[in-house]
Amino acid sequence: MNIARFLSSAVTVAEMEARKIRHDTTELWIRIVQPALWLIVFGVTFNSIKAMPTGSFSYIQFITPGILAQSVLFIAIFYGITVVWERDVGIITKLLSTPSPRASIVLGKSLSASLRGMFQAVMIFALALALGVKIRLDIPDILGVFAVVILFAMCFSSLSMLLASFMKTRDRMMGIGQALTMPLFFASNAIYPISVMPVWLQYVSKVNPLSYVVDAMRSMLLSGSYENLPIDILALLVATVTFVALASITIKRLLE
Amino acid sequence: MDSSNFENTKAIETKNLTKIYHGGIRAVDDVTFLVQPGEIFGLLGPNGAGKTTMIKMIVTLARPTTGNLRVFGIDASKSPETVRNMLGYVPQSISVDTDLTGYENLLIFSKLSYVDKKQRNGRIKDALEYMGLTDRAKDLVKHYSGGMMRRLEIAQALVNRPRILLLDEPSIGLDPASKMHVWESIKQLKEKFGTTILITTHDMSEADELCDRIAIMSDGKIAALGSPIELKKSVGGDVVTVNLTVAYPSITFPKEIGTIMHSNEKSIQILAENGEIAIPLVSNFFRDQKIAIDSISINKPNLDDVFMKYAKRRLHEEISPHATSARRDFVRHTR
Repeated sequence: MNIARFLSSAVTVAEMEARKIRHDTTELWIRIVQPALWLIVFGVTFNSIKAMPTGSFSYIQFITPGILAQSVLFIAIFYGITVVWERDVGIITKLLSTPSPRASIVLGKSLSASLRGMFQAVMIFALALALGVKIRLDIPDILGVFAVVILFAMCFSSLSMLLASFMKTRDRMMGIGQALTMPLFFASNAIYPISVMPVWLQYVSKVNPLSYVVDAMRSMLLSGSYENLPIDILALLVATVTFVALASITIKRLLE
Repeated sequence: MDSSNFENTKAIETKNLTKIYHGGIRAVDDVTFLVQPGEIFGLLGPNGAGKTTMIKMIVTLARPTTGNLRVFGIDASKSPETVRNMLGYVPQSISVDTDLTGYENLLIFSKLSYVDKKQRNGRIKDALEYMGLTDRAKDLVKHYSGGMMRRLEIAQALVNRPRILLLDEPSIGLDPASKMHVWESIKQLKEKFGTTILITTHDMSEADELCDRIAIMSDGKIAALGSPIELKKSVGGDVVTVNLTVAYPSITFPKEIGTIMHSNEKSIQILAENGEIAIPLVSNFFRDQKIAIDSISINKPNLDDVFMKYAKRRLHEEISPHATSARRDFVRHTR
């Protein structure tokens, strides 16, 4: 297989998404509402009552990386719905009938989710700055956050596509998305530290990928201590490659 | 390798091709046929006959359960990407991206088909011009009419200059003028570029107009195969209808001219092998019998008759998954 062609196909599929976003940016703006509520209402309120043991950081500092991770998770985990929709209108059939390898199409789709995730990250950065949240603004750290956002969105959007290959309908994918996001979110360190959780939940949070993502983002945006970062990113990379590979095998089931 | 059994010059060659879906439905059942390079080959049949499954196997979107399928000598199961590189595919339902412009649809597709960068813009421009879409290229496709979307779809299939164009019911849901436009483009493709075209349809006039050869599918099998003329002949001969000026009780008719299919007192329908030759004989016969004729007309069989003869349409079987998918497509078109 020709690697250059493979990558060019994946980038082209992402380009397709970029062009669509350029024609209609409405969705991007609507998607900022939820994280804005979390930061402005939830964050500000809990910040003032100082109920959480968040160490040397204020609560709103603490949850900013958590909310960023959460909103990227939402985009990624529901990405399968977009793919099912595109299947319904024949776009997936069209893409899979081109000479491009199937895996390059799936990779391109997961990059498309990353693209939306990156817009989301930009918005949340802007929101955090507007609220006066103190985050580290070193260029390498910001680039690092974006890299994690890209990988994270690829990982969960390809998981979502993998699930969509079996679920096949938008309604089911909606249900699956709901069933996954809330447990992932609440059993993670996104909005409270692991130390305040009951013991059984602490164990769950240890195997929750979202915890690792939030951890990585926090280390770059807040603490600047990177000792966990390599393992966080490696775990994410392995999961991403696995899910993209699996989804590439199963995606054809969507057409049956 | 059993490549000795296959001639590389055949555009499409299937051998005992079978596709069984989950639940044991034999969508395509032991089908063997050839498509010659440069011909327009029609796959006809009622909903659920297996036409779309056949096309999907050629586009390598569905894997044959058993049997062999080659496109210009290349095994579709072994080198699906090489096969797809030779094909242009226009699916049954509109599948251009309506959130992009016409130009962007072609651009993305040409990139995914690895059209050489230097040729890309020229190809896109040609395809747009060829399908009459140049002046709407910069508009979002959601503002196109159904006919324009279909034309864009064909333009999209043309940017990689396919050796074979696969059209799954290309004129479904189009008004007569758009249909003519699409037909003209299809014929020109064959004449100008020698493109091999495989078309599925259940529109008999479309098949008659376009196809060099036709295969009629029924229940996953090929029930009849031949040129439109051959197929029409196979249905039986022409029907000569003789209207008499006065009622005549009973006639014994010479077998050499034809056989009486149906008669009432003033009108007789005769089945003859060739209507034109039968007319003078018929008229002579009645003159000899001193029976005055009011008028004579010929009815030649059309592909509808062929279709009805070979395609066993069993309505109570329409609950198959293919029928539902066809219905879904239909709903989408009329949306």
